[in-house]
Amino acid sequence: MSLGKLLERIVQLVPVLLGVSLIVFVMMALTPGDPVQIMVGEQSITPAQEAELRHSLGLDRPMAERFFIFLMNAAHFDFGTSFYHGRPVADVIAERLPATIELSLVALVVALATAIPLGVMAAIRKNSLLDRVATVGSLLGVSLPGFWFGILLIMLFAVHMQILPVSGRIGYDNEVAAVTGFLLIDTLLAGDIAAFGDALRHLILPAITLGLPMTAILMRVTRTSMLEVMRQDYVTFAEAKGLPRRRVLYRHALKNALIPTVSVAAIETGSLLGGNMIVETVFGWPGLGRLVVESIFLRNYPLIQAAVLLYAVTYVLLNFIADILYTVLNPRVKL
Amino acid sequence: MRTLPRLLLATALAACPALVPAASSAADLIVGFTLDADTLDPANHRKRETETIIRNMYDGLLTRDANMLVVPEIAESMTQVSATEYDFKIRPGIRFHDGTEMTAEDVKFTLDRVVQDGGMGDGVTSPRQGLMGPVASVEVTAPDTVRITLKEPWPILPAMLPNQQIVSKAWVEKTGNEGVATAENGTGPFKLAEWRKGDAVILERFDDYYGGATDIAPVGPACVDRVIFKIIPESASRVAALLAGEVHIINELPAFSIGQVEANEGTQVMTVNGTRSFFIAMNMQGEYFDDLKVRQAAAMAIDKQLIIDKILAGNAAPIDGILSPDAFGASELPHAGYDPEKAKALLAEAGFPDGIDVTMDVEGAFKDTAEAVASMLTKAGIRTTVAVGEGAQLSDKWRTKGAPKSGDMYFTSWGNGSLDPFDIFTPTHRTNDRGNSAGYANPDLDAVLDAAAVELDVEKRRAMYHDAEMMINADQPYVYLWVPQDIYGVSKRVTGWQPSADSRINLHDACLN
Repeated sequence: MSLGKLLERIVQLVPVLLGVSLIVFVMMALTPGDPVQIMVGEQSITPAQEAELRHSLGLDRPMAERFFIFLMNAAHFDFGTSFYHGRPVADVIAERLPATIELSLVALVVALATAIPLGVMAAIRKNSLLDRVATVGSLLGVSLPGFWFGILLIMLFAVHMQILPVSGRIGYDNEVAAVTGFLLIDTLLAGDIAAFGDALRHLILPAITLGLPMTAILMRVTRTSMLEVMRQDYVTFAEAKGLPRRRVLYRHALKNALIPTVSVAAIETGSLLGGNMIVETVFGWPGLGRLVVESIFLRNYPLIQAAVLLYAVTYVLLNFIADILYTVLNPRVKL
Repeated sequence: MRTLPRLLLATALAACPALVPAASSAADLIVGFTLDADTLDPANHRKRETETIIRNMYDGLLTRDANMLVVPEIAESMTQVSATEYDFKIRPGIRFHDGTEMTAEDVKFTLDRVVQDGGMGDGVTSPRQGLMGPVASVEVTAPDTVRITLKEPWPILPAMLPNQQIVSKAWVEKTGNEGVATAENGTGPFKLAEWRKGDAVILERFDDYYGGATDIAPVGPACVDRVIFKIIPESASRVAALLAGEVHIINELPAFSIGQVEANEGTQVMTVNGTRSFFIAMNMQGEYFDDLKVRQAAAMAIDKQLIIDKILAGNAAPIDGILSPDAFGASELPHAGYDPEKAKALLAEAGFPDGIDVTMDVEGAFKDTAEAVASMLTKAGIRTTVAVGEGAQLSDKWRTKGAPKSGDMYFTSWGNGSLDPFDIFTPTHRTNDRGNSAGYANPDLDAVLDAAAVELDVEKRRAMYHDAEMMINADQPYVYLWVPQDIYGVSKRVTGWQPSADSRINLHDACLN
């Protein structure tokens, strides 16, 4: 891929982000619920005090002016002050983001490492017992609510067997210097194997819960795509040539069969980052999903605005990565 | 087929080094708590959960004991000098966590920061300003005395002061608002060790603690070495953490989990009367509920005790007016009684012999209870459909401050943390006030509420609120339902702690066996 193409992609990002900002801004303005009223709650307050609070939050300005100020500041990566945290939104998000990314990536690894081998084997042994079990399993994986499945895992592994923790990212006596914010990496950088193990233990249940639906989807996609590829002439030709079956499957068929899997995985990863709220709530995982949902209920406008922008950038980047992977898997595809 | 077992095996092996349970020291008291603090700044928060965490690090001029009695804490004594002036004598020898001595200037600075417009600096006004009512000024009148002067008499000042925590003037000026939001320098029993945002707030004992309120024994440093507020928003996970022994106290134990916690060997359930009154607003500007008979019919159609017994597992007290039985001014009131046949007759008298069709708005969290209520109303001829909405949206729709409103019924609640009627009666019943979701307007009641708000004679004031309760009991703008108890799951290892009606979890006196 040329530098030109890369720049083109980055330039394309600008209207996307502007559009997303505008839509979120307008939607928030149209949604009932006044941030000042929510903040004041049941507190007795005089109209003058309410006006002062509104002014203090900058909500007494016209909407167009607020949007313009937001854009000007966002251009300098200043997303304003969170109504509830009293600190820059960027700081509040930055504290939570690594936990979400770490959990999502581990869930992605769990999903890929399970789904691709299962999908391939189900395709190779079509209609076998394995295939049927995998098909039913994938149906269950998509259908089981993460909320219920997560609680089930907690009851089994944390309450009854007591081998894994119910919630959190790491035990309280493990103090890890934050370098990357990813505990698996920071503990290794600190050379603290016990802390690494503790962080891993905390990750297992949430990562499985988060990764399960993705595993199911990717397994189905891989199986279907593998079956499709195995019917292609070049596979028949390779087999007719007398190449070992293993070589035909893994060198010729799998590479092409993985193209749709990669594409779906990229999109699903985006939803992992955005859709963590339930898993983060069940496992008390200190990530961004929970924070954003809380902020929506509280109409914490600056935080919602910045988080949605972040999600938009993430989606665009993941699609971009998927495109690049396409070209690697299939050189005939050009960006 | 071998790949999956291999993967599982690999995962299990990877976890092996850490199969040692998560380390936490023996003297760590861990609270499984619903929400993290938004900020640690005592002047800049709006949630009870945030205040609960802050309150273990910061002390106030006054505090409350577990029975909600207001007692001096940092103040040695409080003297009412006149109708609008209160003097607070400050205890000597109190130190902030940074070792500096606390003075009357710090108290003045703390209160000024809350009550003044732009008091936090940089044009920022404290969102807690309204909690300080009509405070005109705060002055240091002697090295150990602070005087609070009010613009008008406000008898609930002492009840509201436990909401304010004293900060160090020098430290806040040096640290700035952003610093105060993430660090702390209080005078409370615990100091901040680490705040893992969204995950846990880890506090450790402050050994130089002055001991806390003299009226709340024991006086002295905290019992446990560390206190950890572990954030677990999901109630099923909080219960699981308690049963697994990972935490020692959990708040907001759901009523349906009470049996599970009681059946578990090492845990118990503790309850305390809450301060939040639940009620159903009936739109008195609407086509049906402008008629007293229809409102009375609704009140008679609901078997409150049955819902309390079956859905709330007995953990609520029924009410016939707005006040909790524990609130100042609460009294015995006439009881409408459950009588669906009489309700039907009242509807017929009101001109609706075939009943009426209405919608009841409710937030998702209370859908089950609202549906039980709706089925009772329906049986009595008020055919009710439950409509679930989001909190802020419903608040916008119903709390219109006098502007015209749509809708029939609204299943809602109002908190009364001070247990003083001023905090709940006035906003929900005064004409066009901010919580008056029924659209109720009664000038006689307004006059009584206004007079009671500034009446300093305790007995006269109590009588005024009794009169006010009798008025609303007769007019029935709302169906008054119940005040639920706060329910906690507690490890039997915890001693010296009991839940408090204001939902705070003060851990100064708590020990762990």
